[in-house]
Amino acid sequence: MSRPLLSLFTVDRPALAAFEEELKELFYKDDRDALITLLGFGASFAEQVRAAPRAVDLFLVPESEATGFYASVRRIAKKRALEHAWTSTSPALEGRLREYDIIREDAALARSVDALLDPRRVPWFLRRPGGTAGMVSAAEGEGIAEGLQSKEDLPEEVVHLAEALAGLDGDLLCHDGLL
Amino acid sequence: MGFFDKAKAALGLGGGAPKAAEAPQRGQHKDGRPPLRDVPKADSGGSLDDALAARDAGKHDEARAILAAIDRGKGLRTVLRAAAALEARDEAELEGLLPAIRASEPAWTLALQVAAALEGAPPASSLVTYARQVGAPAWALAWTRSATADADERRRGMVDLLFADPALARTVAARDWKVDKAADDRASVERYAGFAHGRDAIRRFGAAKVAELLSRARPDGSAPRAAEKKP
Repeated sequence: MSRPLLSLFTVDRPALAAFEEELKELFYKDDRDALITLLGFGASFAEQVRAAPRAVDLFLVPESEATGFYASVRRIAKKRALEHAWTSTSPALEGRLREYDIIREDAALARSVDALLDPRRVPWFLRRPGGTAGMVSAAEGEGIAEGLQSKEDLPEEVVHLAEALAGLDGDLLCHDGLL
Repeated sequence: MGFFDKAKAALGLGGGAPKAAEAPQRGQHKDGRPPLRDVPKADSGGSLDDALAARDAGKHDEARAILAAIDRGKGLRTVLRAAAALEARDEAELEGLLPAIRASEPAWTLALQVAAALEGAPPASSLVTYARQVGAPAWALAWTRSATADADERRRGMVDLLFADPALARTVAARDWKVDKAADDRASVERYAGFAHGRDAIRRFGAAKVAELLSRARPDGSAPRAAEKKP
């Protein structure tokens, strides 16, 4: 199985927060019809939503038991708040970022890079089991770009990431499964 | 004499008051009970489950003896020992245990375990308010919110927990809420066990009595000590 490719997305934080709040409110109210509309469910999924004891129950099971539901939320979140900016061509990028000694020897840079790969920084509905995701502010993204570009002898895929980060404005989401 | 009989005798339980001719000896309380250091420790064979089983069977003296024997000076066993002392109106033992109750850390844990065990009944809301004041994390507040008989409030708690900590929410969904197809998330099982064990033991003991104990420990509703506040 080939390793997925990391992509960068610019994040509209207010739009993402609004989507998160809207989703939460629908779960609070257990408003099945509104949830079906929000996520654009077809007849089959809509029937499952209506049959569940509570709408939120559908997201309390592992994604393997509810693949379509989670994918739908990610799709709508992406549509509402994310814009694709760049995708690496190298499946080795994540491994380089996590392991390459030149990066790891610089503790501050390593922490920033780890933030880019830390799923705890990402809303639950954007995480994918076993996948990679992380979110950084515009300033953090610039810091990572500068930190990486200050190093010599980095692998080509990391150099390309640094160039991409340097060319982007705003908060960024790193993800391997949203395309 | 068996373990329970020895423990009960050591605490002066079940054996009646000491005879007038038997003056308290060095190291003993005036009522004939020995100081805590003479009580058998947990490795003497009792367990928290033994104590709760004894209570379930109506053997409250025996339960108190076991709780005293296994008390390590802090934590859940001390809390339940103190609650049992409160129930038995044993002021001498209770007063000796209250400092440990007041010092339990983090302070929000016990308050929320009791609130969850109360399942929304009074004074759950005031315990939650207190827990929030002393820095309870979002996941703990959400989980407690879900532990109520009110269906709307319960659902809101479930939603809050999903948004605060999805891994824990899925584990709670599997174990507490019995959501169809839900499964433990390994990342959260240990945290689940840590909180749920206390909540379940308190519920089995009698949450109302433990709530009364907390009220007694913090009668002003509570000004947590500086050491209990989060930075």
